[in-house]
Amino acid sequence: MASVSSESGETLSLNLMPMLDIFSILIVFLLMSYSTDPVSYDVNGGVELPESTTLSSLDELPAIKVTKTEILVNDRKVANIIGGDVEDKDKAQGAIQPVYDELKKLADANKRVLGGRVSEIDKVKMSTVTMEMDKNHRFKLMKRIMLSAQQADFIAFKLMVAKQSS
Amino acid sequence: MSKKKKRKTKYRDIELNVMPFIDVFSLLNTFLLMSAVFLSVGVLEVQIPFLTSAPPEKKEEERSFDVKVDMEKDKIQVTGVWSKPPLNEQKRDFKVTKEDIAAMHKFMIELRRTAPDTDKVSFFTEDDVLWKDISNVLDAIKVRGPGDPVFAPKGATDVQKAIAAESIYPKVVMSSVML
Repeated sequence: MASVSSESGETLSLNLMPMLDIFSILIVFLLMSYSTDPVSYDVNGGVELPESTTLSSLDELPAIKVTKTEILVNDRKVANIIGGDVEDKDKAQGAIQPVYDELKKLADANKRVLGGRVSEIDKVKMSTVTMEMDKNHRFKLMKRIMLSAQQADFIAFKLMVAKQSS
Repeated sequence: MSKKKKRKTKYRDIELNVMPFIDVFSLLNTFLLMSAVFLSVGVLEVQIPFLTSAPPEKKEEERSFDVKVDMEKDKIQVTGVWSKPPLNEQKRDFKVTKEDIAAMHKFMIELRRTAPDTDKVSFFTEDDVLWKDISNVLDAIKVRGPGDPVFAPKGATDVQKAIAAESIYPKVVMSSVML
């Protein structure tokens, strides 16, 4: 109980207990929701994820980010998006050349790190890439990115979605 | 006894100073609120066709059940057909609406019941379909809802059981992704 004396000599006391109760409940809630997912990740500001009922959680950070206006591979901008598609100079046989180049570097780096001893689990991991994409993009753009990844030996995708709160 | 009585009188007017407690709580609250992630992020796993220069394996094909989903901007067609006679084709069309996608999910369960060993779906999509609509359809194909049956293969490992507990069709191949 915090108290203050007024000019007339009266003691005014402030009851802090309700505030403490609220603080305690808030802290318990925040601590419970803190880092329960394997990976805690703040979605890129330029990306609005589609909602999904999936139960699978994000387990690695996305290598490919497709915002409304640009494509980033490992946080490096590689292409601009204009009118829902990449610029003509970046297109190559249905794929996107700069995306392929960056993913190829990533695939080569993975191979170098793992060396010759590659288990089946490693092979699956090496061929999987996580992608964060704005929900209003069309499949045409997704297909171009997937084709680029396919050429760089990535054949499985983890497509990021916002889990629906039930 | 007299000493004890004296002590009781001495501590009667003591008040607990809760201010440091409030300071710590405030700081902890601020830190937790700043670091909290309020949007829970999940993933939908898909595969794309794998290109190989190796010659195809020469083995006698068994009779298998092929499930195909064709998605257009405002229409979805689901087909289940056996690879050898009797083909017993099951085909249904759905609109891209919440109600129809829920009906499609039920049809996917029916198809999986027809052939529990088939856990793969070939998914074809037109170029102009939005990713948000694709994600809804992928949900209907993949995600096992509460009350849906579990399709675990015979002699399944713990990992396979865990996958079966989460999915109706765990393997979705985006077959439109071809050069």
